[in-house]
Amino acid sequence: MAEELVPDWEDVARRYGRKIYNYAYRLTGNPDDSADLVQEVLLRVRKGLERYTPGSFEGWLWRITRNVFLDDVRKRKRRPTVPLCDDDRGVGNPSPSPDEVLSSVRLSEDVQAALLKLPIDFRECVVLCDVVGLTYDEISDAVDIPVGTVRSRIHRGRKMLRDMLTWPL
Amino acid sequence: MASVTHACAVGELLSAYLDGELSRDELDTVVSHLDTCLDCIAEFHELRQARTMLRTLPRLEVPDRALPDIHYGAELSAYLDGELPTGEQPVVFAHMALCDRCRNELYELDAARTAVRSLPRLEALLERRHVDQNVVPLRPKRRSWVAASVAAAVVVAVVSFAGNEPQGPVVDLEVFSVQHGARLSVQSPASMFDAELTAADVSNP
Repeated sequence: MAEELVPDWEDVARRYGRKIYNYAYRLTGNPDDSADLVQEVLLRVRKGLERYTPGSFEGWLWRITRNVFLDDVRKRKRRPTVPLCDDDRGVGNPSPSPDEVLSSVRLSEDVQAALLKLPIDFRECVVLCDVVGLTYDEISDAVDIPVGTVRSRIHRGRKMLRDMLTWPL
Repeated sequence: MASVTHACAVGELLSAYLDGELSRDELDTVVSHLDTCLDCIAEFHELRQARTMLRTLPRLEVPDRALPDIHYGAELSAYLDGELPTGEQPVVFAHMALCDRCRNELYELDAARTAVRSLPRLEALLERRHVDQNVVPLRPKRRSWVAASVAAAVVVAVVSFAGNEPQGPVVDLEVFSVQHGARLSVQSPASMFDAELTAADVSNP
């Protein structure tokens, strides 16, 4: 079996920075929070790489990303000045960046708004699957839940999204 | 719009079926069930739509401030040679417009590449050495070719001259010998002499 090549910090930033940003944005709906999350994840990766022992690098990276996200959620719960959009507050008004303005077709806005209405557990699994592109096993590793639970959360999350959105059949 | 709701247990497997995440037995169960259950077929289509919508959400670029101090040193040679994966080439190109450090490194790599590519080719060196040492003289070959051409022309002239209706030679042998003798003199004085002699013999039988 080939030995895993451990990337250096810049490699991680280049290869995964965009994925982490998209993950964060689809979970929070906020470009500034998402940029902060990317910075924090990369900082922790930089520190953690010294102690990282080759294994599942992606699993390790997404566990860090998730922990950063959850830390942020906890902080906001203690200081609830800015909503994290786990309910209807702030949905559909995420002060978009120029890139988002260019690409913000009506449909993607609706999907984003619907995503933000999903319970966080479902949203996380759906985003890791459909935005980041992880397999169920990788999600199970990153989120630390059984594969059966991943399967169930993705299924229920998609069904809820389907209920919230009106598409032509 | 409310999604299809029904009581099939197989419905729970439809997302995993879409994602190719079922075991062999589960796959068989779902496939055979979809042959008969219209509700599950409808749900399958709805789930597929939801999944497509999620997967076609625009992929956003990371703001510069989120990725500080990233440079492309290790990729610059591949960038120079157009060997980066398709998606990475424009990313490095865009980065180059903003990053002095990477741009300077690229110029240095380009200079190094040009220097290596400008080295003389080995075949050329070998050829020159042969010429210097007269190992393979090329001139005799050409000289013999020219002499043969002149001889052939003279034979044609003689045949024409010996025809039944002597209306003057088809070829002006004097002019011919002067012209071709002059050309031959560049290559071989000896051949020129032979050619003149032959022409004189032909014109004065």
